[in-house]
Amino acid sequence: MQALTITDEELVARSMDGDADSFNQLIKRWERPIYALAYRTLGREDDARDVCQETFLRAYRAINGFRGQAKFSSWLYRIALNLCRDWMRRQRRTPTVQAPEDVDIADLAAEHGPSESIETLVGRRQLGRAVAAAMAKLPEEQRTAIVLKEYHGLTFQEIAEMQGVPLSTVKTRLYQGLSVVRRQLEKGGMSAADIRGDA
Amino acid sequence: MMSTQFHCDDTATLVAFVYDDIEPLEKAAVSRHLVECARCRDEVAALGGVREALGAWSPPVPELRFTVVPESAVSNVVRPNVPAWQTVPRWAQLVAATLALAVGASVANVQVRHDAAGWTLTTGWMTPAAPAQAVAAPAGADAQQFQMALTALEESLRREIAARPVSAPATAPAASNVHADADTLARVRALIEASEKRQQQELALRLTQFGRDFDLQRRADLVRVEQGLGQLEGRTGAEVARQREAINYLIRAGLRPQQ
Repeated sequence: MQALTITDEELVARSMDGDADSFNQLIKRWERPIYALAYRTLGREDDARDVCQETFLRAYRAINGFRGQAKFSSWLYRIALNLCRDWMRRQRRTPTVQAPEDVDIADLAAEHGPSESIETLVGRRQLGRAVAAAMAKLPEEQRTAIVLKEYHGLTFQEIAEMQGVPLSTVKTRLYQGLSVVRRQLEKGGMSAADIRGDA
Repeated sequence: MMSTQFHCDDTATLVAFVYDDIEPLEKAAVSRHLVECARCRDEVAALGGVREALGAWSPPVPELRFTVVPESAVSNVVRPNVPAWQTVPRWAQLVAATLALAVGASVANVQVRHDAAGWTLTTGWMTPAAPAQAVAAPAGADAQQFQMALTALEESLRREIAARPVSAPATAPAASNVHADADTLARVRALIEASEKRQQQELALRLTQFGRDFDLQRRADLVRVEQGLGQLEGRTGAEVARQREAINYLIRAGLRPQQ
């Protein structure tokens, strides 16, 4: 129970003193968000895993250089995004953002509980694929802005600092990105309303 | 810079409104505007729909469980698998390569000669036919001159040998040389005989192995053929039995009295 109450800052301070267990607690706390960020940026599970691992390795090596001016999570996000950018430059390709092909109805039902029908679950999975494909078409900065805002709940200010651009630029990028995704989904005949059954 | 007025083309503020990451005054201005502007209301609803759709995209949930282990806590550092030859210094690799080349050349009996016919490279243990051809090569006038020069050389050699004084000390080394040559010849013969024996033994061994393998293969083939024949016989027997049964039935049916 005590581990839950310890803040990131405290764990960082202990890690700076050479306490590897404290850093491992930070990893446990942040490995899924970092993996999700890398996956949504790169679109490949293996690469996302590699980037995630490398992010924590770099953070561990550079932990004594962390000044605490930003949140620890923002620092991690920055490292992960830099690694993703390097990866894309190295590979000279855009993200593929592939959703898993196999749709196991039993797994889906287990994930979402008995409240949703199988049709809804399958529809959600199809919509997820369509979103992934639409996101893959976005320029990197728009995609990153959407991912950080939509899935990681960062403020516009935090994203602006992370991307090194004015606040208004982040908002514009987000608006443009959302508009492209919307058009792509409409082109594919997909919308959240269809999945809900509102249409 | 906060504004109490909102304009339709202010997409940045609109998206901030959609995400509710907006100053209260701006939010109030957008809300007031939406009451009056249907186009902006539709835009906000559409952006909300996109956000909802984005929620359907979830990443896989892998087993990550990364942990860091300080180097001091690691007793056995796992090193990458490097081929053994890569750990040898370059100079040692060079020496080994040279030795291998030398041994190979000696085994292959590589000989490089330079004579009147030019450079000659021979390999193997066969006697080269080149010298005979070299002697036979001159033709016509050249051949005559060559023959005369050879005769003159022979005569001068004979004269020289005849003029050499015959003395006791000189004969001793000659005798010992003859003795040494005989010994060498005997050793070479013994080596050749041993080599021939080894080759014969090896040949016999190979032949025996081949015979055994052949016999095993033949037996396996025979077993397979027998199994195949057995299956065929079984099928044929069953077919014959069925036909016989059918004939018996027809006979019985034919013999049954007509009603």
